[in-house]
Amino acid sequence: MGRYIGGRIISMLITFLIIASLTFFLMKLLPGTPFNNQDKLTETQIVQLNDKYGLNDPVPVQYFNYMKNLLSGDLGVSFQQDGREVSTIIGERIGPSAYLGLQSLVVGTIIGLFLGIIAALKHNSFLDYGTMVIAVLGISIPNFVIAGLMQYWLGVKWQLLPVAYWDGFAYTIMPTIAIASIVVATIARFMRTEMLEVLGQDYITTAKAKGLSSTAVVIRHTIRNASIPIITIMGPLVVGLMTGTLVIEQIFVIPGLGEKFVNSILTNDFPIIMGTTLFFSLLFIVVILLVDIMYGIIDPRIRLAGGKG
Amino acid sequence: MSMKQEKLHDISDDMFQPAKIDSSENEQIARESTGFWKDAWRRLKKNPGAITGLVIIVAIILLAIFGPGMNEHSYSEQELTRAKLPARVPVLENISFLGVNGVDIRGTDQYEAKGYEDEYFWFGTDEFGRDQWTRVWQGTRISLFIAAAAAFIDFVIGVAYGGISAYYGGRVDNILQRIIEVLVGIPNLILIILFILIFEPGIFSIILALSVTGWIGMSRIVRGQVLKLKSQEFVLASRTLGATSGRVIGKHLIPNVLGQIIITTMFTIPNAIFFEAFLSFIGLGLRPPEASLGSIINNGFKSLQIYPHLVLWPSIIISLIMIAFNLLGDGLRDAFDPKLRK
Repeated sequence: MGRYIGGRIISMLITFLIIASLTFFLMKLLPGTPFNNQDKLTETQIVQLNDKYGLNDPVPVQYFNYMKNLLSGDLGVSFQQDGREVSTIIGERIGPSAYLGLQSLVVGTIIGLFLGIIAALKHNSFLDYGTMVIAVLGISIPNFVIAGLMQYWLGVKWQLLPVAYWDGFAYTIMPTIAIASIVVATIARFMRTEMLEVLGQDYITTAKAKGLSSTAVVIRHTIRNASIPIITIMGPLVVGLMTGTLVIEQIFVIPGLGEKFVNSILTNDFPIIMGTTLFFSLLFIVVILLVDIMYGIIDPRIRLAGGKG
Repeated sequence: MSMKQEKLHDISDDMFQPAKIDSSENEQIARESTGFWKDAWRRLKKNPGAITGLVIIVAIILLAIFGPGMNEHSYSEQELTRAKLPARVPVLENISFLGVNGVDIRGTDQYEAKGYEDEYFWFGTDEFGRDQWTRVWQGTRISLFIAAAAAFIDFVIGVAYGGISAYYGGRVDNILQRIIEVLVGIPNLILIILFILIFEPGIFSIILALSVTGWIGMSRIVRGQVLKLKSQEFVLASRTLGATSGRVIGKHLIPNVLGQIIITTMFTIPNAIFFEAFLSFIGLGLRPPEASLGSIINNGFKSLQIYPHLVLWPSIIISLIMIAFNLLGDGLRDAFDPKLRK
């Protein structure tokens, strides 16, 4: 196990370095200038600014400097915000995004598990079909459409919830629903399939035959065994959450990392784009690694060590 | 007793004739044979969800082709005096709860106020007075085109990559899979955004950006299937009979993987439509007057509070497309692989 994790961490670092290099060279290919008032600047000022940010150095030197700084945890300074540290900006912005992401994940998972379990236990009933309709809608309807409809009906028309911004719990409700919809749908569907699979197993028949109450069978044997594979879809779900925060923060004007990322793209603020890209990638890689490790611990049948690939 | 025996005597020998014994007829197939595709289609027809999806897809494709030509307005024709008119449909305008009578949310008949009593804009007009009906279907056309093209590229690269990786195996497989491992580590959304930044915004750069990582899913599925199939007896038999690699791939492997490929494509298309809409939504999509569903929705958001119709119709259509492809994809999965059916 230890050897497996060690190997995985090394390959994770390699992946991260490749991503960092790729991002760097892609940034260099970008058209446009990072200085928002370039038209008003004189030739000398532009040269000075380029000097200040090291943009006049040859690309390999820039690359070397960037990677060196990166390895010591320095992500550089923003072009747009008078040289503020990118890491500081990410630190300021991460709060709302993390809150929103975690809240959506927790709420979505709980509702999804609940719906999936009910659907499987009441297989082929009205509840089952209802859940499956919700699941198809949740997977199909784009989150920005859900967000827009809620903003219009709940926010503008009925004035039940604040339309946008970030100022207390009431402001988190609509964004959370919009992001969590995909989580609910994915988990409900997956849980239903797994539950039905487990319910058909011999050990369930055994448990029933030895006289366990049906509640005990469902809770101790069915739900427990059906929940294990849920971990495997956590990777894709985290990606879904990230995509979600990018748009949803934009729609609800939430001062989070996703909103900053989109705005830095529109203003060519390279260091911020790179910083956030690397941050999101790192998050993604770590989640995938954790998922794999957890899966190995929970289900010992999956042999991590020894086996190839 | 005796009565019965008498009756038996009534049955004379000439009522019988010898059965024809012809061994060739034993092998005759009385009914038309059911092949893989026919069987799948039969199962698909029984699935109401899948058929609903199929009907919606056909209807939307037809509207995307003919919709923009159904009235005299073009998608880029601007006329500021008729900007932001609400929807108004002949006949249906008399049924007030449908909300297609040209009255805005403040209760004024905008058509009367702006002097367009004789005009009908079925989905209303946008902020430049462009006909929303034409624009929405034009946008649908472009969104579908982008999705279809991206799905096609994913198909070509994915099948080739996965097929080669699995068929040749060994070192080739090892190298190709290591490359995929690195690519999978990058959140595809971020890669797509970076690529779109480098290319000039436009239909083809969006298609390219979507294809950068899009083929990975397809290649993995094809690889898995081919790995499973190539060790089965019928492939061995074919090889033993002297079939070339080309024949084994073309005649045995690809037809057997085709079902999986079609299913994957069915899920690639809504994914591509979503990503395209997403890109347009964060401002990296098509430039006006070009329009896709995503950019139309994004535009409408600016005036959501006063002119909800600008968001409503394209949102409904994009949701319908996504639902339809998902339903059809689910149905096809059940139809091609009944073992998976729960």
